[in-house]
Formats: sequence, structure tokens, C-alpha cells
Amino acid sequence: MIGRLQSPLARGLLACAALVAVLAVADAALHDLFAQNPFGAPKATQAPEPEASGLIGWLLAKQSEFYRQMSSTIRAAKSDGSAVWTLLFISFAYGIFHAAGPGHGKAVIASYLVANRETARRGIALSFASALMQSLVAILIVGISAWVLNATAKTMCKAEGVIEIASYALIALFGLRLVWVKGRTFIRALQATQPVPAMAGVPHDHDHGHHHHHDAHDHHHHDHGRAHDHHAHAHDHHGHDHVHDEHCGHSHGPTPSELAGPGGWRRGFAAILTVGIRPCSGAILVLVFALAQGLFWAGIAATFLMGLGTAITVAAIAVVAVSAKDIAARLSAGRDGGGALFMRGIEFGAAALVLLFGVGLLFGYIAAERTTCF
Amino acid sequence: MSMRALFGLLLAAAMTLVAGAASAHPHVWITATSELLYAADGSITGVRHAWTFDDMFSAYAVQGLESKTKGTYTREELGPLAQTNVESLKEYAYFTFARADGKKERFQEPVDYFLDYKDTVLTLHFTLPLKNPVKPKQLVLEVFDRSYFIDFQMAKDNPVKLVGAPAGCQMKLDRPGDGSATAQKLNEQTFLNGENSNFGMMFANKITVDCP
Repeated sequence: MIGRLQSPLARGLLACAALVAVLAVADAALHDLFAQNPFGAPKATQAPEPEASGLIGWLLAKQSEFYRQMSSTIRAAKSDGSAVWTLLFISFAYGIFHAAGPGHGKAVIASYLVANRETARRGIALSFASALMQSLVAILIVGISAWVLNATAKTMCKAEGVIEIASYALIALFGLRLVWVKGRTFIRALQATQPVPAMAGVPHDHDHGHHHHHDAHDHHHHDHGRAHDHHAHAHDHHGHDHVHDEHCGHSHGPTPSELAGPGGWRRGFAAILTVGIRPCSGAILVLVFALAQGLFWAGIAATFLMGLGTAITVAAIAVVAVSAKDIAARLSAGRDGGGALFMRGIEFGAAALVLLFGVGLLFGYIAAERTTCF
Repeated sequence: MSMRALFGLLLAAAMTLVAGAASAHPHVWITATSELLYAADGSITGVRHAWTFDDMFSAYAVQGLESKTKGTYTREELGPLAQTNVESLKEYAYFTFARADGKKERFQEPVDYFLDYKDTVLTLHFTLPLKNPVKPKQLVLEVFDRSYFIDFQMAKDNPVKLVGAPAGCQMKLDRPGDGSATAQKLNEQTFLNGENSNFGMMFANKITVDCP
């Protein structure tokens, strides 16, 4: 197939198209799988169309169940201290189910991990850090506005709305930056598949110092141990330098080569901030409710437990995403040129996904994730 | 290509799992009763809703409100909140969608609205007058939040009342999840198509009134 195509651009487009097609097919297959899931709520009448049954329906039902138990448990905790343990357990379970249902936080983290060739370990760390930040933001919002200022729900919800928009804008910016860096890498990879000596020579020198750094700190990337890959790395780094000074807002986004070295956390922080700044509406409601019952501390404890549950699920998803990427990398490593190109294409696609999510959320195309104030 | 397809599939599966359906889940639960209001000539003039919120959201909604007696709120004290509620609801088309013989009907701004606070929960009462009263053979009224931030459930007892309807009108209520409401398959289009992000559709309460 590749042989027939002359232009690298056409080949790249084809790779993209193939990726999209595969995504669509897998998606349909997955939804069929969900629809036939035995966990689905049993139905008296067999509906021709699957509704909110299957895995997603089950997750929704479960988390609703846990969530709705929270208010009664907090009430019970007023007179019976042992109910706090129940509350903590419910919050933890809610967190796990809450995160297992689809949502933008996981999508952004997973796409980011794939785009940036992150390790599973770092994915887990990012998941926990962003969940912790989410909990803290919720506690701060309610603590300051409701507890200290005794603000009304209207004010609080507006504040929440502003933070939400800001967080979506951050995701879009973050995605834009990833697309910029990954797009350049992808284009370089496209060019690299065509043997153009003049082009290949320059970056190769450029590459060497960088190469050592790369190998010494991050064995994980050894899988891609091909000239093309390093070649791409060099340019990646290059691209980063361009962006770095002009946009302070997203200058901390990592490039793969830097991730392994010291200071990697500073760049991981961009991901944590992007995902973690938007608090979960559920946590805010629980906190205000607990405050109204005079048990604010129980609400805080519940929020942290929710965060912990969320973190565990997101971390699991992150590991799956990174593993799938690793498998793909291993399989493509045995191929000439095309393999590396394919990987760069996937990274570029993942970066584009982050951007897509940011823009979609920002302009309300993903209506499902807007806080409803009323 | 087959190898490539295989790992592409693997990756795609993982990506779908995480990024696939950006579905929401409810944070607010409303138990609703609705009345369909008829004029003397048998035309439908509007809908009167009574929506009872869950106690978590009720506590959230009254946060920061002043009241003479702690823990209770009079209709007057809740006046400003009720006004905020109905004003904000406009953006969401009052979560109420009417079709008369298949044609979409629109509502005017709510009237006669107030909030009650009883047994730690709030109930919002309001009337939605139709822009143009209609006298269809079939009226379909759906109550749902397309983003599914709010879960609407019609009350167990007397969920729908026809007030002053002509004799012979038949009412049918389809609750969400019983397979007869307008169901949509869960897929990407459901979520990502802007106008069509009708995820909440699956949780719609559908009231159908057939008149001779």
C-alpha cells in the first residue's frame, strides 16, 4: 500500500485516515460490547435500541446510587459518629465509579500521556496529583465562598462557571501547544521517510548530545531506538524552544526529551493544572451540604476520599493508554520508516484530541460537561 | 497492514475507553409533576410544573440565604431565588419540549412562580404559557435535561394532570428507561454534535395526549 504512494504527505494523510477509520470501527465494536454487557440493568421489555444500559448505564446507575446515599449518610453522621465511616466508604466508591464513566479529565490525561510518550509511572503520578488538586480546589471554593463569605449558591455557581471556562481554555491552549510540537515532529517524520540527504544530515549532528540524555534517563523510549525517531526528537526539542519564550501561559508543556530529566515535574504540572483546576460539581454539592449540616469536616474528608477513588480509576486508564501505546511502539519498531511515522502520527493524533476536547468543551459542543446554574 | 491494523485497534480501544463518550451524569435530581392547562375551547394554553429537588441540591440552593427562623424558609424569603431559577431556566428552554401534531411549540417566560421549602427540600412551582395556544390531535410533551446534569423523574403518584381537557382525551406517560421513550443509541454523534448532543434524551419523560 505504502509503495504505491509517492508523496509523503499523501502517506501521512492516509495514516491519519487509517487511524480515524480504526477508531471508528473499534468504537462501534466497543459500544456493541457495552450494549451486551451482563451488568446492564435487567429490563422487563426488550428495547430494540440499547438505552443507558450496558457498562455506561451501569456505571451511571452505580454512581448515582452512591451519590444519593451521601446526603442521608451525612445527615446520619450528625447523631451517629460511626456513619462517617460509611460516608468515607461511599465517597471512595463514588470516586471510583465517577471516574470510570467517561469525562474530559481522563481523556485529556490519557491523550497527553500518549502524545508525550510518557511512562505509566508518570501517568499514575499525574492522575493522583490532578485528582488531589481537584479536591483542593473544591474545598477552597466552598471554604472561602460559603463558609467564610456566606455567599449564595448563585455566586458560587458563577465562580464555578468562570473556573470551568478557564479550565477549558487551558485545555485548548495545552492542546494547541501539543499540536504545534507534535505536528512539527510528525511533518519531520513524514519528510524523513523520503530519503533526502540534505535534510537528514543537519539534524543528525544536532541530535547527538540529546541522544545521550534521552537514553540515560528514559529506558522506556528505547523501544523506538531508530534513527528516525531520534531525528524526530531533535526537532521536537527545537520546536519547543521556539514556543518557550513567547507564550508564558503554556511554556511549561513538556517535550519528551525533557520529561526524563530533573525538573520534569514542572512540566507535568501543566497537565495537572489543566485537568485539576476544574472542581467536580458533585464535590461542591457535598461540601455545601455538609456545611449546612454543621459537618464541614466530614464533607472535606469525603471530598478527599472521592479524589482518591477518582485517582485510582484515572491511573488505571492512564496505564492502559500507555501500555497500548507501548505495544504499538514495539510492533512498529520492527518496520522501516513507516513504523516511526505511524507512531508520530498517533502522537500527533493524541495531541489533536487534546485540542479538540479543549475547543469542544470551551464552545459547548460537549454540552454534557457544563455546570448548570439555576 | 494487518499488523498495523492490530495495534491501531489496540490503541483505538484504549483511546475510546477514555475519550469516547463524554457523557455526564446527574448531580441534581428532580421529582416532577406537570399539569396541562386547557382553555374552555379545548385548546392547550400551557404547562404548570412543580419540581421537587433532592435534599443535597436543596441545601446547596438555600446556602447563604437569610431567613427569620433558622432551617425554614418562607415563600417570600425564597422569592429572589425563585426568580433566579426561572430566569436561568430560560437558557435550558425550561427543560420542557412540546410538539403539537409533530410541530414544535414554544413557551413564553414563566408566570406564577414560587419556591416552597418543606422537609428540607425545595419545590419550584411555575407555569409555562404556550406562545400560541394549540388544539392538536396529539400533543407530545417531553421533560428532560439534554446534558443530563439534572435527572428528571415524574412523581410516582399523579405525575400528570390534564386540567380542563375536553372529554375523550387520553394521556400516556413514558418514563425513561422503559424502552418506549425516544431512545438514542450511545455513540459519538450523541455527544459531540453540538445541537445534537442529546444524551439526556434517553432520560426523557414523554407525555403524550391524544384528543379526538
